[in-house]
Amino acid sequence: MSPLEAFGDGFARRALLEAVMVGGLCGAVGVHVLLRRLPFFTMALGHATFPGVVLAGLLGISLFAGAAAFGAVVVVVVALLGARERVDDTSAVGVTLSGAFALGVLLLSAQAGFSRDLTAYLVGSIVTVVPGDLVTTAVVGAAMLAVLAALHKELVLGAFDRGGLAALGYPVLALDVVLLLVIEATVVTSIPAVGTILAVALIVAPAATARLWTERLRATMALAATLGASSGVVGLAISLQWRVAAGATIVLVAATLFAVSLVVAPRHGLLARRPAYVAPGSASTSSRA
Amino acid sequence: MNLLEPFTIPYMQRALVEVLVLGALAGAVGVLVVLRRLAFVGDALTHTVFPGVVIAHLLGRSLLLGALAFGVLTAVLLTGLGSHRRVGDDAALAILLTSFFSLGVVLISRTRGFTADLTAFLFGRVLAVDRTDLLQTLAVAAVAAIVLALLHKELVLRAFDPEATAAMGYRTRALDLVLNLLIALVVVAAVEAVGTVLVIALIVVPAAAARLLADRVAAMTALACLFGATGGWLGLAVSYEVSVDHDIRLAAGATIVVVLVGLFLLAAALAPLRRRPGRVAGASG
Repeated sequence: MSPLEAFGDGFARRALLEAVMVGGLCGAVGVHVLLRRLPFFTMALGHATFPGVVLAGLLGISLFAGAAAFGAVVVVVVALLGARERVDDTSAVGVTLSGAFALGVLLLSAQAGFSRDLTAYLVGSIVTVVPGDLVTTAVVGAAMLAVLAALHKELVLGAFDRGGLAALGYPVLALDVVLLLVIEATVVTSIPAVGTILAVALIVAPAATARLWTERLRATMALAATLGASSGVVGLAISLQWRVAAGATIVLVAATLFAVSLVVAPRHGLLARRPAYVAPGSASTSSRA
Repeated sequence: MNLLEPFTIPYMQRALVEVLVLGALAGAVGVLVVLRRLAFVGDALTHTVFPGVVIAHLLGRSLLLGALAFGVLTAVLLTGLGSHRRVGDDAALAILLTSFFSLGVVLISRTRGFTADLTAFLFGRVLAVDRTDLLQTLAVAAVAAIVLALLHKELVLRAFDPEATAAMGYRTRALDLVLNLLIALVVVAAVEAVGTVLVIALIVVPAAAARLLADRVAAMTALACLFGATGGWLGLAVSYEVSVDHDIRLAAGATIVVVLVGLFLLAAALAPLRRRPGRVAGASG
């Protein structure tokens, strides 16, 4: 199988382009998600935009708009619940995730054609993307990457040292909200084409893999974006060749890259003998509950 | 609306027994999940048993055994992970969750009736629970309840004070494995009947609500069991009444989740009304 041969048809070319763009965007955003330990929140965002998608479908408005609006509501609800003394962040996310998802199912179960729509939402249908989807992905992706580039220094400082960021006079809360909204936009952009499960996987796995190979943050983001895009291309080729679900295959490729890196990475891999230098107060020293 | 009338029908009776047992068990385990902040682990387990179910389905074996095998595998992997400094617990969890789930999707996407199977897995078919399903659920639930009863004291100690637990000679890693296995058992007992989305709600939501209202672990556990079982009963009754009397089809599993979240919001509204003598004394002193 030659790699280009598999992408001969028009739909396959579009899927390839979408996979590269989504993979690259998710990879870059994923580095911030990992730095701030937000994978569970990202997962919840994916599930919680569901009622928005269903409502938008019922009302006949843009699915993007519906998902984005509900995602914004979820960001606020998680922030409010988590601020309560006796509800920790994890439980707040768990309650919001299951509640919002159930609401979407409830709305959908009152309709006909229940299961088909839902499957496309969960695992995506990248081979059916239309040129309009590609334009949306390109525009939103470029905008999000521009925001990340413009605020890179502030966002990174915020991840490692919130007190320092506040002392320097930056609006800490506003920067947090900007980052959460960037994550939300990334998830929402990815869902129609690649599904909620895949969106989370493409955000977390390439970034985690890149962190095993390099210490430098900019290099990590570039590597994560490359890994995300490559996982998309390879996964799509495998899926077209053997006719299995495209989204899930892309996830498996990204996860395989991670598993291999976890073993063989030169400095942080399981085979590396040399104990790595632990920077005092670095964000990766985990506070275990 | 009569909340008992639907349960004169046999399939509704079986569904009721199923959700009452699962609600109480998930509530009790959920308290430990909430105390340890392991909601993400619960969510991960509900997805990682999927390939087990698919493989069992393809081979024509018991779905419960397939789910059990992958549940145990995940519990072991989760306990082993998280020790790697450069990869956070949550990143490892997210990758494990999505890749196992994807494995299931890839396997099942080769078969016909792909979407119907996936939907049944996610949302269950609580109204179609038969006698065998019920007995399987009861058996798994009984094992989980016995383990929980025997090790409850140690698990609570581990949740609050891991150093003391280790100092007293308990192996914290082994206790972590026990809790992960307990979550896996709840998921396995419930997943075929009620679906993954409902399982994670049954585990997290009643316990989070109980935590708002109770200070002591015993009271929290009792309340969580009560909320879980009540939510299951009310959700089934409401879903039946609305579907039959008002001709709006409401999925039973999703209705239960929405009722549970309603109970949680009620608890959040009531929580500030409780007197907190300790806090007041601290502020005045």
